[in-house]
Amino acid sequence: MKKKLISLISTVLLVSSGFAAWAAGTPNSSIIHIALTAPITGDYAEYGNNFKHSVEMAIDEINANGGVLNKKFELSVGDSKGDPKESAMLAQKWTSDSTIVAQIGDFTSTCCMAAQPIYNRAGMIQLSPTASHTKFASGSKWSFSVYGSQYWEQPVMAALAVDKLKFKNMALLYINNDWGVDTQKSFKENFEKRGGKIVATESYFQGETDFNAVLTKLKEFKPDALFLATMYNDGALISKQREKMSWNLPVIGASALYSPQLIQLGGTAVNGIYSNVSFFAKDPDPRIQAYVSTFEKKFGNTPNFAAALAYDCVYILADAIKRAGSVDRNAVRDALASSKDFKGLAGSITFTAERNAIKTYKPVQVINGEFQLVE
Amino acid sequence: MNTFMAMPLKRNQTPFWIGAVVLVLAVPGLLGGSDYLIQIATMMALYVVLASSLNLIIGFTGMYSLGHGAFYGIGAYTSAILAINLDWTFWVTMPIAGILTALVGAFLGLATLRLRQTFLVFGTLAFGEIVRILIMNWPSLTRGPMGIPGIPPPSILGFELVSSTQYYYLILVFAILMVFLIFRLYHSRVGRAWVAIREDEIAASSMGISVFGYKVLAFTIACLIAGLAGAFYAHFITFISADQFGMNESFLILTMVALGGTGSIIGPIIGALILIIIPEAFRFLAEYRMVLYGALLILVIVVKPEGLAGVKGLFAPASGARRFSFLRSGFSAECEKVEGAK
Repeated sequence: MKKKLISLISTVLLVSSGFAAWAAGTPNSSIIHIALTAPITGDYAEYGNNFKHSVEMAIDEINANGGVLNKKFELSVGDSKGDPKESAMLAQKWTSDSTIVAQIGDFTSTCCMAAQPIYNRAGMIQLSPTASHTKFASGSKWSFSVYGSQYWEQPVMAALAVDKLKFKNMALLYINNDWGVDTQKSFKENFEKRGGKIVATESYFQGETDFNAVLTKLKEFKPDALFLATMYNDGALISKQREKMSWNLPVIGASALYSPQLIQLGGTAVNGIYSNVSFFAKDPDPRIQAYVSTFEKKFGNTPNFAAALAYDCVYILADAIKRAGSVDRNAVRDALASSKDFKGLAGSITFTAERNAIKTYKPVQVINGEFQLVE
Repeated sequence: MNTFMAMPLKRNQTPFWIGAVVLVLAVPGLLGGSDYLIQIATMMALYVVLASSLNLIIGFTGMYSLGHGAFYGIGAYTSAILAINLDWTFWVTMPIAGILTALVGAFLGLATLRLRQTFLVFGTLAFGEIVRILIMNWPSLTRGPMGIPGIPPPSILGFELVSSTQYYYLILVFAILMVFLIFRLYHSRVGRAWVAIREDEIAASSMGISVFGYKVLAFTIACLIAGLAGAFYAHFITFISADQFGMNESFLILTMVALGGTGSIIGPIIGALILIIIPEAFRFLAEYRMVLYGALLILVIVVKPEGLAGVKGLFAPASGARRFSFLRSGFSAECEKVEGAK
C-alpha cells in the first residue's frame, strides 16, 4: 500500500512538473502566431490534411511577400482526430498561450461547438473553414464560419433541379448528423418553394456501408431524381450500390460530394451526378489556377473545397490584421467581423451579423469521370 | 451491508492518503495556472472516476461491460436536458442523472447479468449502441444529431463556476469522494462478496452469497457513478452530442482499466492518468502519436497482462500458465510449420 501510494504521488509530481516546464511560450513582437486545429488522423484525415497543407502554403506565401505589418506568420498545428474532447483540449492549449492571435479550425461542427465556450471565455478568434451548424457562428462573438450556410447553397441546387433539369418528384437520402439534417431540410424547403415535391426521405448513420435497404425503399416511390446529403465517400458507395440495383436516375447532391475521391471511389457509378461548389479546381480564373498548380506540385493531389476554404481563412485573417493595424485580439476580431466582399478562392466572403459567410455557388456535374462546371 | 463503513482505516495509511489529497489539490499551483494543463488534469480526474467505476464491474466482480460509455452518456444527457428544459440547478440534476442511470443499469443488469463472459460483452456492447442510436433518433428530447449546446455551468451560492481551476476542484472533490466510496465498498462485506464471486462463483454461492444479487448491485453502483460523472462532464464541456458517448468511449474506459490493472483501487487511477496524458504529451509526434499509444497497450498486454497495478488480469493467461507461454507456443508452432514446409 505504501509503495503504491508513493508511486502514485511521484507519478503526479513528475507529470505536473514536466507539464509546467512545457507550458506557454514567450511573446515575440516580430511574429504573428496562429493555431490550426484539424483532424490530421482519424475518419476525416483527408480534410484535415488538406487544411494543414493549404494553411501552411498560404502562410509561406504571405511570409515570402514580407508578411503582414512587417511581421511573419508562425503556425502551430494540433490534431483533434475529429473528437470533440480533443478539440476542447486543444482550445485550452491555444488559449493558454498568450502569443497566439487567432485559431483556424476545426473541421466538424461538433468539434467546433465543444471548443466554442473556451474560445469565447478566453476571447480568441475561432475561425472555422467548414463548420456548417446553424447555431455555430451565432453562439459566440468570437466564432466565425467561412463555409457559408446551407441557406445559400441549396437555393442554387433547387433552382438547378426545377428550372434546368425539370424534376418534379424527388427522393432525399441524408446522413443523420447535424450537417445532413440541415442540408436536406434546406433543400426540401427550397425545392418545395419552387413547386417541386419530395416523395420520400430516408437517412442513415455514419459508418453504415450497406445502403441496399434504404435505396430499395426510395425506389418504390419512383422519384424523378435523388438528392444526396452525404459526404463523398458515402456518396460513392451509394452510387455503386444503386448501379448494382440497376436503378438509373439523375442524382444531385450537396457540395460535400465534390471531391476527386468521389470519382476514384465511385468509378462509372458516379457519372452524371450534380453537385455544387464555391471553389472549382478547373475554374479558368488565373488566381485559382496558380493556387491549384502550386498545391498539386507540393502535395501531389488536387486541393478540395476544404483546402480552399482553409486557404481563404489565412488570407482573410491576414487582411483583418492589416486593417486592424495590430495583433490585439479585440481589434483583429472587430476587423474580421467587418470583412466585406473579400475576394477568396472559394467565392467572395461577407460576414453576416451572426458571423456566417454569405457565399456564391456554382453547379457542377461529373461527365466522363471528371467534374465540369454546368453552364 | 451492516459492516459497510465499519472497517477502520489502518492507522499507518492515513498520512499517505492525506499526502495524496494535498498533492492533487496543489496541482493547479504546480501547473502554473495554465488552463490547458488544468483541463488535462480535470479530464484525468473525470476518467479516474469512470475507470474506477468500471473496475467495480470488471475488476471486483469479474464481469465484462462494453457499455460504460452509454451509461456515462445517459447521465450527461439527463442532467443537460433537465438543466436546459426545466432550468433546474446542477445540484438537483446531477443526483437525478445518477439515480436514473443507476435504474437503467439495474434494469439492464437484471436482464443480462445471467449471461456469462463473451455473451455479456455482446449484451452490453449492443446496449451501448442502442443508447447512441436512441439519442440520435429522438430529436424532440435529445435534439438528435444536433447535440445540446449551452449547458449552464454549475454554481455555488449564486456564484458560477466558469474558470478551469474552479472546475478542476469541483471534479477533484467528486473524484476523491467516489474513489473513497469504492475503496470502502471494496473493503466491506459487499466487496468481499464481489471478490468471492470473481474468484469462483460456485464456491461463493455455496457459502451463501447471492451471486446474481451481488452482481446486479455491482453493476448498479458502477452505473450510478458513471451517470454522476456524465453530469459533471456535461456541465463542464457545455456541449454534448451522441458521438461523445459511443463505443470508442466505452473502449477507452475499458482500456484504462485493463492498462492500469483490474481489481485494485490504484490500477484504474494509473490507467486513466496514463491514457489521458499520452495523446497530449506526444502531440509533437503528429500522426504517429496514436501508433505509440497502440504500441504501449500491446507492450502492457504482453509483458504485464494483469495491468500495471492489477490483481486480476483481463488479458492474463489462465491460472498456472506461464507468462509469455502463449507467445512461445505460437512461435514454436510457426517454427514447426516452417520446418514442415522445408
